[in-house]
Parts: sequence; structure tokens; C-alpha cells
Amino acid sequence: MQITGMLYGSQLLDFVDFPRAEVLGPDADEEAIKAMIERHGSVFVKPVFKGGVGKKGKAGLLGRARDLKSALTEKERLYFVEHRHGNQVAKANGVTFEGAVPAEHEVYFSLSVSTEFRAPTLTLTHCGGMDIEEVDEKHIARVPFDALTGMKAFVVANALIDIGAPSEIISPLVQQLPKLWELYHNFGMTVLELNPIRMRPDRRGRLTPVACDFKCGFDRDDSRWHRLNLPPHLFAADYSDFEQEINQLRTHQGQSDVYVINDKGTILAPTFGGGANSLVTEMLGDDAIISSDFGGNPPYEKMKSVAAICFDHWLAQSNVLFVIGGKSNNTDIFETFRAMADALREHFSRHGPTPLFVVIGRGGPNLVRGMAVFRDTCEALGLPYRFFGFDSAMSEVVDYAREVNEWMKAGGREQIATRLGLEAPAKAA
Amino acid sequence: MHHQGIGDFHYYVGINSLAQIATRNDRVCVLNILGGESSEVTPVGHAWSGGNVVFGTSPGRRGQRLETPEGAIPVYNSVREGLDAGHRFNCGVVYLPPSAARDGVAELIRVNPELEKIFIITEKISVHDAREIRAMAQQAGIDVFGANCLGVADAWSQVRIGGALGGDSPGDTLKRGSIAILSNSGGFTTTIAQYLRMAGWGTTTLVSSGKDVYIHYAAPEFAFALANDARSKAAVLYCEPGGYYEREADFNKPVVACVVGRWKAKLTRAVGHAGAMAGGNDDALAKERWFMEKFGVDGLFTPDNPVFSAKGAVVTNIAHIPAALTAVMRANATLPDFEPEGSMDLKPWFGSNMGVTLPAALDLPVVEAIAPYHTQIAALARQVGTVFPRQNLKDASGASQMDPKSHVSSLHGVSMLQAAQQPLEANLALALVHEAGGDNDRALLNVAVAAFVNLHGSPVLAAAQAAREAGNAPNAVLAAAASLLGPRLSDGAREAAALMIDVFSAAGLAAAHDEDFALSRAPIDDAARERLLQAEPDPRAEALLAAVALRGARSVPLRWLLALGGHPRADAVLAALTTTVAWGPLQRKRISRTTIESLPAWMRLIGTLLGASADAARHRPDSFCGLPNDEVLGVRSLTELAALALLGRAPAADDLFAFQTLTGLLLTNGPGAISAQGAKGAVSADGPETPARVQLNKAMVGFLSHTGYAHGGNGFEGVAFLLERFAGQALTDPGDAGHGLDLDTMARDFAREYGAQKAASKESGGPGYNIPCINHPVFKDKPENIDPREAFVRQRFEARGEYNVFHDYYRRLVQALFDEGVTRNVFCVNVDALIATLLLKLMWQPLAAGQISRAELETAAFTAFLYGRMIGCAAEIDDHLNRGRNMDTRTPQAQVRFVA
Repeated sequence: MQITGMLYGSQLLDFVDFPRAEVLGPDADEEAIKAMIERHGSVFVKPVFKGGVGKKGKAGLLGRARDLKSALTEKERLYFVEHRHGNQVAKANGVTFEGAVPAEHEVYFSLSVSTEFRAPTLTLTHCGGMDIEEVDEKHIARVPFDALTGMKAFVVANALIDIGAPSEIISPLVQQLPKLWELYHNFGMTVLELNPIRMRPDRRGRLTPVACDFKCGFDRDDSRWHRLNLPPHLFAADYSDFEQEINQLRTHQGQSDVYVINDKGTILAPTFGGGANSLVTEMLGDDAIISSDFGGNPPYEKMKSVAAICFDHWLAQSNVLFVIGGKSNNTDIFETFRAMADALREHFSRHGPTPLFVVIGRGGPNLVRGMAVFRDTCEALGLPYRFFGFDSAMSEVVDYAREVNEWMKAGGREQIATRLGLEAPAKAA
Repeated sequence: MHHQGIGDFHYYVGINSLAQIATRNDRVCVLNILGGESSEVTPVGHAWSGGNVVFGTSPGRRGQRLETPEGAIPVYNSVREGLDAGHRFNCGVVYLPPSAARDGVAELIRVNPELEKIFIITEKISVHDAREIRAMAQQAGIDVFGANCLGVADAWSQVRIGGALGGDSPGDTLKRGSIAILSNSGGFTTTIAQYLRMAGWGTTTLVSSGKDVYIHYAAPEFAFALANDARSKAAVLYCEPGGYYEREADFNKPVVACVVGRWKAKLTRAVGHAGAMAGGNDDALAKERWFMEKFGVDGLFTPDNPVFSAKGAVVTNIAHIPAALTAVMRANATLPDFEPEGSMDLKPWFGSNMGVTLPAALDLPVVEAIAPYHTQIAALARQVGTVFPRQNLKDASGASQMDPKSHVSSLHGVSMLQAAQQPLEANLALALVHEAGGDNDRALLNVAVAAFVNLHGSPVLAAAQAAREAGNAPNAVLAAAASLLGPRLSDGAREAAALMIDVFSAAGLAAAHDEDFALSRAPIDDAARERLLQAEPDPRAEALLAAVALRGARSVPLRWLLALGGHPRADAVLAALTTTVAWGPLQRKRISRTTIESLPAWMRLIGTLLGASADAARHRPDSFCGLPNDEVLGVRSLTELAALALLGRAPAADDLFAFQTLTGLLLTNGPGAISAQGAKGAVSADGPETPARVQLNKAMVGFLSHTGYAHGGNGFEGVAFLLERFAGQALTDPGDAGHGLDLDTMARDFAREYGAQKAASKESGGPGYNIPCINHPVFKDKPENIDPREAFVRQRFEARGEYNVFHDYYRRLVQALFDEGVTRNVFCVNVDALIATLLLKLMWQPLAAGQISRAELETAAFTAFLYGRMIGCAAEIDDHLNRGRNMDTRTPQAQVRFVA
């Protein structure tokens, strides 16, 4: 849940009256662009990406134009441009035109959480405009401050003095930057970064900080960002139908995080708790269809819905239904297994049987009753199965599931299909 | 700004040694103690810790108590009230929802000056609130654990605070030893302790740190407290990506670090609590590197390539932790705390190949589980049928549901459209044993029910007739009969069924109609034999046996009963029939033992109510509704008997089909229907948690009293409407498409008349009336609307080549109403029309011939509803009996209102 760029950043900055560069959106007409160029001498043309996308400048995705023609050429070049940064590939949809701000000084500013100080932390340098990693440490102030008092003017003043910032920029920054704490703190942000803030002189030479780029991240568990009335499509980045269905079940009790690892995979492994999820996803590799953390102790209804959605999307292609977790503390195994088994039974009654091998490894309260329910379901549905207690190493159980998957690919699936009375067995993907 | 604590930290830390984290002297206050999670885990922790919780809070619930094996914990509205009552505590546990957690922390800190530690279990606390929590605690000098954690535990002092480490039996996992654990995963804190124990390592202090962005008690201060804890010789850390906590930690005792989350490098967006992504400087690879540098190793420890030093080892698989720890400790000349308690090899507790041939490597034989699980599994093998978990069943049902989209209800997964294609006896099986069964089952059910329909000379019949003559509607008539069918009447058959379940479970009977089953496998002692047999022949038993023989039905329990020698009691024969029908579903764990034991009582109830719906004059010593008793018992189906009782004549094949469709459609309308509510309320009031006390007949009275002229009797509205439309028409056979009536003209004339009336009543503001059986709140707004249920059944009749003039009229009427501009589109003919048209078709000829009156027709309409619904409600009652809680249908005081 991130926002980058000035298209929406400008709206957020306006909430706290922080000065910012003038911005036109993708639908700006030529008159407006021309007028902007006339006012500012030149404009920057930047592609609009959904979510968080960094290092655009370095990738040459920043255009500058001093006349309308080249502004439109840059618009055409950047409107649907693709950008790869790390593992992320993003496709632009639109551009912004941002009025250039002449300045001598460029400032980098960010607010974030420091796990080292375990407090909100201000990072500030007067050597902005470049990546913070490239700035000499002695020019960077990293100042944790009290969350209850907030980022007050004295915090900013002390930070600027400590790094030897030019005296003419101190007063304007001390006046303006504390506003950003209001934005950060009151609208559910986890990170806020303005780079650069350009120090624009007025006729008398007095400087005003002007935000020229914007980046922020929101906390999914904090509803304060709803106050901003941002269009929901901003955050609907790249969720699959499956992920969206699961996300609708997200409640404060229990995570519902899922990620489609390989939509051609053949092991369906709904897992509970981050620990189990990490282990399983790591070991299954591309055999796994999804990586999931449905949280500890999900109630019956939620568990059944989650399982039903998983089955609807993936069961037909699955060779192995793999339910795995450690020795749970308070997750009622009977409730969760009963929910999954019921969902499996209902899926079979709606869509007919599908060849499947069920592997379970689990521990926790009501374990035997839970396994008994799953056993009865497997027997009723005619599915072969092996259930392991917590005295079998989880990783061994994962390996077992993988070996079963290989056997299923090598003819086991057809064998089970025949036993289930399926004439033409559905092939696993 | 922070309170000065111990050590050289940027922040306040008060814990000097791990031994101080959870001690026997700690006294605990739990916020939201009655919440779902707390009320389950707090009693376990409290008992294991020798009673460390002094009180809990839950606003508005002062005076309540949380029962625990160590005595009840008092509950107050607030922390201040608890302190005012004289309680003192130094530890606060927060189980509040995320939006309230911060305020709970503030309350603990501001109200209790003796507070030292806070444990926050709540997950999904916003970062905003987390930083304020931290700031408040730092100012006040309080140690916070969590959030989003499962608390802490100490295996030496046997104390756990907050959360649920060690699960529901902490002693099984937490054995005193020398290893401390700090884990980002609450679940794995316990799992790691379990793995260590199997390898001979016990534990000291276990800390579930949580993995929010703010981890309030994290690796650096854990390392500090580890150094000062004489009990702990080493530690295991379980780390996920995100945060620089581990980098800052300075260990001076051996450590095995399990770092997971490399796979996140594949992701393209943040997944997981802290939103940590690969590519940052705090991803899994970075964390592995930090630890390798600390330990002076250049690789990961795996069993094949054991890389470690005396300082520690890094693993990425928790199963490798014990081996890594043992290796590291050996390098420190330290042996495990005790003998290893088991291996981590694969040991299936349950398994079956289901007839498939597996390669040897995968075909692992099932092994006996470790104690105490092996005894549970052994007990499971002895358990017969399923045991449903009990829950509040107000407005909920495990038997029926209505699909909100299609408005088609279903019973045990079978939609009413499918049920309408099955005979009544199949639907009775569906209702009670959750499967419609085969021909053999139906034959046995037909006998069992038919045994009770002829009520000649019984007080039940007298009661029903008296009720009828006093002017009651059919539901009250049947209720009078049901009231006399108390539980005692079925005790004998219930006992016999219980006995047969025991005998045949022990004998391993797989199929109850198995002709080859060797009866010698099912021995019984003399006392049991006595309960099934009697000295003289029982004529009722003889009649049942003759009927079964006549129908050629098979039953192992019956064959066995006869092989006992002597004369079976009628109750025993009945129980043998019902146990045969239910045996398959029981073996498949579809139904419970309670259900199968209740079946004889259900046969009596259904048979008697069916009988009581017919006038007393139709019960003769030797016949029912004109059918000889042996034909009733030995030939006819339940569907035929019910149709006979309703129509007063032997039904033809078409009549039967119509009748079965009618009753099938009426089985259920989900748990929200008033009839179901009445039935469920009656069970709830008796207390299903003690099933033997629930009076099934009274529950049927509950159902019957919750039907009436508006619910059940309203099927007659459509009939009345049609009677008016067809008054004076020369219609002899409604099933003859060549009836000679001009339906289009009839429909058009009425549409005009209705349109005019409607306009007039609109003009005058007077009440209009709606035509029954057309239009529907869901199936509307299309140019031409269809109720899919009506369409489905209509097509089935068309496929049989059957015609129904009343239905045909309705279809023409909706078109005429549109053509005449009365309706804005073509309304649907709804499912109620099926009921009205089928019924009227069935009854038309006796009505036209003057054999029955309009009032009797109305009674018949109501009775047809009762036939179908009584089977659906039997399912509802049995379901509530199996799953419900005592008094669960009552409405909480807060949701009721007074009107003036």
C-alpha cells in the first residue's frame, strides 16, 4: 500500500499545507501544459505507476521539457513505459507534468520506523536530490523522537545544526517540516519520503521548501488512511481473483495473507501461522500453488470459507492436499480440520471427485479428534492419505508430500482417478 | 526520552535476566479476559502457573467469573475497580481488539503504579498505536512483550503469562532444561521446544516476541538477559525477515539461529506482518549473514554439511535445530539435558491407500502414536458414529439451508428440487440418517412407519378426534396426538437399538444387509438376550416380521435377532429395522449414536401422526382407510399411505407423483422458517446437552404449534383463487389437455377485471389485493420472469406428458396481466403456485362431485404441508439435539425491545 509521485502526493501535501511543486495529471490539455512551461521555464514529465516504484530517475524514466512539443514527445514515451526494479515490474498508466522549481539547495526528508531505536525516526540531509545511500553519513541526521510529543520544530532544528546545514535553510525547514508529522501520524503512514525538497527563493531571497517528489507507505492495519478518501484502485495493484477473494476474509482475528507462487503448481498447501508458511513455501518451491498464512486459530466459518475458495480455484489441478503446521498452541485442530474436511466434502459433492492424495502434519489441541474427522472424510471420498503427528519433523513431512506429488505425476493420479471411477482422469497441470 | 533501565540500551529495559520474565511471584491482570481467545487459554495458563491471574477486566461484566481448574478468576469493569477491590498485580496481559489495545496499555500504566511488565497478545495493532504504546511504556519504565505474540513461559518455574505457549497441556512440551527460546513465530515457539525435547534438550524461558514492525522485547535485550541467566546455557532464535533487531544483539552464550523467509525473495509485493520484502537490507539473506558473522561460520548448518562453531550455527529449517544445537553444545563440552525422548522420523498416525498401490518408499505403515495420543486413537476406534461439536444454533442449522441466490432450500445437501423427485420414505431417510438410502432401506422404513398408522382403539386416536371435533386446524389435531407419544413408549426400542449398536460395532459389521455376515461374530450374554426376547409370541412383532418377509427386505440385525431363538419383542424388531437403515451412515460417520438410538421413536411419531391425520372413522381393527392391515404393513409405501390418508382414495400413479412432488417441495425452508423455529425452540428448552431429556414428541408439538393458517395453511389462498376462477366452468379432468376451456379468454377477462379493480382501489385509497402465487421478491425485473423452481418442476411434469389445467391457467394469467398493462413485465409464476395447482388437481374430482367440502379442501391443503414439513422438522429436531446447546434459541436481552 504505497503511493509514489506527485499526482496523489500533491493532494496529501495539501492536507497539511506543505508547499509543493505544481502538478498536472495525465489528462492535462495542451494549453495547461504550455502555460505551466511558461510559468516555470520547464516541466518534468514523469510516468505514473500504481503502488511503490523506486529509482525511476536512474532508469531514465524522467523527462524534462522546455517546450510543448518535447513535453508531448516525452508524454508519448513515458505514458505506458515499463519499469523493472528488483523483482518488481511495473507498467505506467499516464504521466504527470510537474513545474520545475529553481533552487540552490535540495533536501532529503523521511519519516519512518527505526527498529534500532524502536521509535519514529527523522532522516534528513541538506544533500538531497540523490539516493540517500549515496550521501556521506556525516551529512545525514537520523533522529529518533518521542511518538507522544511528535516531530517538533526543535527536533528538526537540532538535526539540521548537527549535520551543519546551511543556516539559510534552517528556519524555513523548521517552520514547515513539522507539518509532515501530522500527515504521517494522523493518516496511518509507516513511511513518508520527500526527495527532493527544493528550497525556492522568493524575490527577497527568502527560501521556501517545495516538495518535488513524494513517496509514502500506509499501514494496512490502520484505518486512518481512509480519511484521505483516496480512490481504492490505487491499492488494487496486482491481486489475482483468488487473492482478492481471500483478502475479503481478512479480519482482525487472524491473517489472511496469500500469494500465488505458481499457478501451475500441483501441491495445494493452506498453512496456518507465519512459521509454517515460511517453512512450507521455502521447501515446496515451485510445486506449491500458493503461499498462505491464514493465521492462528481461525474460527470454523472463516476456515471453511478459506478452504472453499482454495478448493474452487486450485483443487482440480492439485495432486496433493497438504495441511501442515507445527504443534499449535491455541488453534483448535478439531475446528480447523472439521472446517476443511467439510469444505472438501462439499466441493466433491458440487464438482464431483478429483484425484487427490491428502498429507497432513500437525499438532495441537484436539489433534486426534481433528485427524479423525479428516480421516473419515478421506475414506468417504475414497482419497488415500497419511497423517503425521508433531513427532514427525515438519520438513520430513514436507519431503513426503513432495515425493507423493512426484508419484502422482508419474501415474499415481491416474490410479486414483480409476479408483474414483473417473473415466478420463483430469490431468494435473 | 525514556526511563533509565539496566544495560547500555538506547531505550528502557528492565529485565536483567531471563529468569525474571515469568516467575512464580508475578501476579497478572488480563484485559478482556472473557474474550474468545482469552477465555480458552487463560484458564490453562492460570492452572499450570499455580493460579497467577488475580483478576481480569471486561467492561460491563463486573461480577462474572472465569472458571478455571485452579478456581474462578473474578472479573471487573476496569483495572481501577480490581485494584479498589484489593487486588495487586505487576503484569498486565492485553487481549483487547486492535483498536483498543493502546488504550488498554494506557489504562494499565496510568492506573497501576506497581506495574512492571505488559504482554500484548493482540494482532494487527496499527504501527501508529504501537509507537504510542512503546512511548508510554518507555516513559513509565515498563517492559512490553509482543505485540502479536503468544506471551512467555518458563519451564523451570512452570509459569506462563499471556498467550498459550505449550498449548492446552504446557507440561507435555515445556520440560525443564538449559535452552532459552526467542521466536518471531508463536506457533513455532512451542514446536521448537517440542523438537528440542525429543532430542534431549529442555528449556528455561520461552519468549514469543511477535513480528510486528515494533517488537517491544527483541533480540538485543534477550541476549543481555540470556547472559545473566545462570540456568540458560544456550539459546535458540527463530527469525523472520524484517527489522534490524538481531543485528544489534550481542550474544556471549552459544546460539542456534533459524532464519527463514528466503522464499520471499521471489515475491513482487510485501507479504506478512511486517511487510518485509527481499531486496531490503533486513531480508532473510541479510539476517543469515549477521548470524554467520557473529558465529564465525561460513555456511548454513545442515545434517549433510554441519557447519557450526562453539558460538553457534545458522539453520533455515526448524527440524535441523536440535542437531545443530547438539553439535554446537558438544563443541562447548556440554551434553543434552536428558536422554532423547524420541526421533523425528516420519510416523504416520493415520493412513490408508484406499486400494491404490503406492511405491514402498511412500507406503508408510501406520504406527502407534506417542502417549497420550495413542489412547485417544484407540478410544476413537471404539467410538461409533460421529460426535458433532455443540454450538449456539439460534437461527442456524446443520440440517437445512436456503441458498440466498436461488431461494432453493436444501436438506443435508439435497435441494428441494431433488427431494421432490424422491418418494416420501426416501426423504424421511434423508432427514434422519442424512442419506436417501436404497430400495432395501426404503422397504424397511415403510414397514417401520406403517406399523403405527392404524390407531384403532388407541387413546391417541381419541385425542386427535376430540381435537378435530372441537374445531381445531390439522396442526392442533396432530399436536394432540403427538402429546400422548411420550418418551417412555420408545424406551424399549431405544435400548434394543443401543444394544445392537454395541454388538455389531464389536463384531465389525460393515454392511447391515450383508447376507454373508456370520452371525457367530456377534455373540451376546443372557441378560442382553432377555431384553430382546419374550416368552410368548408378540403379535406386533409377528406382523412386522411377516411384512419384512413379504417385501423381501434384508437385515443382518433382524436375521441375528431371529437366530437368537425364542420370540422377539416388537421393540426389538423395530430397532433391528431402523438400525439396519442407519448402519451405513453410522459407519460413514454421517450420523451420531444419539440419532440411531432415536430412530424407533421417530418411526412411531411419523407413523402415528400420519394415522392421526385421517378421521377416526377410517381406522378399523383390520384396516386403515380401507386398506387391509397386512397390505398397509407389507405392501404399501409411506408415500402411498400418506396420499391415501390425504385423498381418502387409493392414489393413481399420477396422483402419487404429484403428491411426492408436493411434499418434497415442502420439506424445509431453512432454519429461519417459523415451523423450524418452533421445533428448534422446543429442543433448546429441553436442553440438548443432555440428549436423553429431550422429548422428541414435544419437539414435534413445537413444530406443529408453529404452523397455522398463515404459515402452512396459506397454500389454500392459491386454491381459493383458482376455485373462484374456475367456478361454473365445466371441468371434469384437470389433467386432460383437451378440457375445452378457453383459458386465454378466462385469463384476459380476469386481467381486465383485476386491472380495473386495482386502478379503482388506488383511486379511492382503499386496500387492493395481490393475486396469490405470482411474482417474487427475487425473480423479478426481467421482461419475462421465471421462478427457476417452478420451471424445474413444470419441465419434469411435461417430460412425463402430464398436464395441469390450473398451472396452465396461471402461466397464461401472468402473460395476460402484462398484455393488459396491469403489470410492468411478465411476472413469474412462483413456487407456491405448484403447491396450489398440484393440490387442486388432486382434489378436483371429489370436490366437483361434492364428496368433500371447501373446508375439507382447506384442511387437506394444510395437511399436505404438514406431511412434508414434519419430515423436514424431524431433521431439524435431530440436528438441534446433536449440535445445539441448552437454551440457545433465546434472544439476548439487549436485542429485545418494548413497544408502547
